[in-house]
Amino acid sequence: MATDSFQKLTETAQAIKETRSTNTKIAICADYFRSIPEDENLRRAAQFLGEGAFSDLSGKRASVGSRTYSTCAANFCEIDYEKVFKPCKTALGSASEAIEKLMQNIDVARRKRSPSQLSLKQVEEQYHKLSQLSSRADKQEVLQNCWKKMTALEIKYFIRIMSRGSLRIGFETKSVVSALSKAFKKKLENVRYAHMITGSIGNTAVLCKNNSLDQASFKLFHPLSFMLASPIESRSIENLDPYIAEEKFDGMRAQGHVKGEQVELYSRDLNDITHSFPEIVQFFTSRNLPALVLDGEICVYKDDEILPFQLLQKRMGRKKPSQEVIQKYPVLFIAYDVLYHGKQPTFGHPLAKRRELLVTLSKKYSLPITNQFNVETHAHVEELFERALAHGNEGLMLKKKESTYEYGQRRKSWLKVKRPGGTLDTVLMYAHAGSGRRGGYYSDFTLGIRVAEDERYEEEFIPIGKAYGGYTDEEMKRLNKKIKDLTVEKYGPTLGLIPEIVVELEFDDIQVNKRTKANYTLRLPRFKAIRWDLAPTDANTLKDVERMYQQKIDRDRLKQKENPSFVFHQ
Amino acid sequence: MNITKAGYHGILLPNLNIGFDYSGTDTQHTFISHAHADHMPRNRKSSVYCTSNTLKLMRRRGYKGEATVLDFEEPFETENARITLYPAGHILGSAMVYVESEEGSVLYTGDYRTPPSPATEGFAIPHQVDHFITEATFSLPIYRWDSHEELGNEIREFAQKTLADNYTPVFLAYNLGKAQEVMHFLSPLNHPVQIHGAGYKMCDVYEEAGIDLGTYATYNRGTCAGNILITTNSALNNGFASNVKKKRIAYCSGWASREATRSQLTVHKLIPLSDHLDFFELIRLCERLEPQKVHITHTPNADVVQHYLDTRNINSRFLDLESEEDD
Repeated sequence: MATDSFQKLTETAQAIKETRSTNTKIAICADYFRSIPEDENLRRAAQFLGEGAFSDLSGKRASVGSRTYSTCAANFCEIDYEKVFKPCKTALGSASEAIEKLMQNIDVARRKRSPSQLSLKQVEEQYHKLSQLSSRADKQEVLQNCWKKMTALEIKYFIRIMSRGSLRIGFETKSVVSALSKAFKKKLENVRYAHMITGSIGNTAVLCKNNSLDQASFKLFHPLSFMLASPIESRSIENLDPYIAEEKFDGMRAQGHVKGEQVELYSRDLNDITHSFPEIVQFFTSRNLPALVLDGEICVYKDDEILPFQLLQKRMGRKKPSQEVIQKYPVLFIAYDVLYHGKQPTFGHPLAKRRELLVTLSKKYSLPITNQFNVETHAHVEELFERALAHGNEGLMLKKKESTYEYGQRRKSWLKVKRPGGTLDTVLMYAHAGSGRRGGYYSDFTLGIRVAEDERYEEEFIPIGKAYGGYTDEEMKRLNKKIKDLTVEKYGPTLGLIPEIVVELEFDDIQVNKRTKANYTLRLPRFKAIRWDLAPTDANTLKDVERMYQQKIDRDRLKQKENPSFVFHQ
Repeated sequence: MNITKAGYHGILLPNLNIGFDYSGTDTQHTFISHAHADHMPRNRKSSVYCTSNTLKLMRRRGYKGEATVLDFEEPFETENARITLYPAGHILGSAMVYVESEEGSVLYTGDYRTPPSPATEGFAIPHQVDHFITEATFSLPIYRWDSHEELGNEIREFAQKTLADNYTPVFLAYNLGKAQEVMHFLSPLNHPVQIHGAGYKMCDVYEEAGIDLGTYATYNRGTCAGNILITTNSALNNGFASNVKKKRIAYCSGWASREATRSQLTVHKLIPLSDHLDFFELIRLCERLEPQKVHITHTPNADVVQHYLDTRNINSRFLDLESEEDD
């Protein structure tokens, strides 16, 4: 089979899926990469396996939604979308897997297809075509024509690659990087670096093959993947010596790229958010800075207080905020790391060294930066944690002094210490069929609060959040049994339930959301306990939620005058 | 014809005083399709009719009631009906029950498989059926099985490759039916097999019926490494062969055709070997029988079957029974 065929790529993916050992998976992928002679095809193969139809930084998207390709597949197979396709998808927990099976099993779908070994290049052209089209009908026509030339296996992976989701073969981008390192005998660290810098796994593959990884260099105004923190598993870190502490702001993580008059801000998902925060742009340009990349947090800061995230929300997602909004919710960029300075990336330096540089810059250019604390005892950590909360912040970060900036990774060098935002007793209202590992079970649940005595509503319960975690496998199975008896309605993969089961729900925060019935949503809701001992009448009410929210907003916040969470030499 | 369900367990023809896979003692004639737990009578006072192999297997699984043995395709007369058992191809002894009466004819399938499992007495069906009471465990077009020849090859290749790599192959298979079917597929390899005790005690019934299970012994923790092992997933989780570090696990079930099974069970190989018929066979059979009415049981997706039957002008309804997944 031709090394540049899409079928070959999908067979490789399937072989990786059917192997359990990570090393063997990497070896299979490495062999495949090595077998491809042309640079362009290697680029496509690595990109398809590691990133999706287009490189992350290209900004291009095929933009084909699940409903578009699912109805298209149902038409192709000549089956009823509602009556046949949907139950198939629910049973498998995956639309793409259902499509693969239907394409394989249904005679008429088989007869329509004559697989013709499309090349990687031809498949890339199809993705490109899809990205250029806007109407559903046009996109479906491209899909239909494309599928006619594919095997069922190719169709499944074609969809998964197109949707930029996981290929579900137990092999994520990190593993593709390892496979490149193995295939071309390059140091893993160098490959990872090149990937981070170029922002493209495809280009990284070509650099590996041509022995030119050193050509990959950091460029200003190309965002770096953020370093992420792990939750601290227990409060007991044996030895606090290697760590420093910083307060964890309740704001929006951001990366600022600055060079003289030019400023760009990127969000955690690497989107350009510069236009939402003109005063930050102005702040940086006014300081006549050298080329600089800062990692930090955007917070609403007013009258010597850091204000809650709920107020920052008024600024997020606005392309061009009005003067009024800017004055009402003024924001500040508080830096806590420096990743590039002058002509040199600094993310390879240990944190202590980066901090030294950050302090110097802060003094010289009057930039707000976090306050850093040496922690000696657990009692001290506890005290700092309580003070961070008093400041209105989320908690504490513990960072290893010797750690480099581990871009794009969530490891143990940064640890976050948080306290749950609160708990509510809620009622199970709907169960939704799970996908992936939870295929075949109802694993996502919509939970409601009581409004029975609330004159604003006619219902007894209204939804407050959707949780899909925090329970054990055993609890989920017990719930699934119980749900059977409580089901009153069925809407495709969703079951409407008699409100009977009470769940104690834990969450990080309460936010206003006008698009919901309750006007509030919970951030990161998860099961704390299934309260078999409580009745639905014991559930919390909407009034309780409103009270909790108001308490958060109105809470007294410790001013920044003494023991501040950040330093700002104005 | 009056057909009703008996609570969560069994189906009744009240006018003929006949029960199928029913635990009550109030019917005059109760027929048991096969020896799986969700079809076996649960009452020690029961008096039932079944095939001789089903009776032997039920006795091994603790059935204490009375039973009258019937041969396949040898009609049995009651006051108002004639009953004939047909081989169902599901597990050894499994039978479909065909009832002819003045009210018309009924075929109750129990669980069945066509083409039949090679470790059974085969599959046969009467020509004329008015009421077809059929299970529909795999009632979606995502389920279409490979031939037994292909599945047998897959099983043997997995065992051979694993042994050649110096690993111990473990097959996860339900201890009555699937386990012996897998052993039958493996027998040409002439490699010793060890099977979990719950499955072991069923094996001699298969051998007496002339089904070759190869060389096998009951599971022995001390000596099991290097044998081909057969057990259930729950036994594996409870320490079965936990002393053997180098092993590879294959899961044999219709459910193995779903990708999610891989992560739910953490197995190396999924072999979609089912002892139920697939969706396409089911629809084909309904077309061939052209019954007055199809009564669908044992399925979460009766609507889909009904939709397909509607478009073929075949009248159908859902007989809602609690199904237990023992595939």
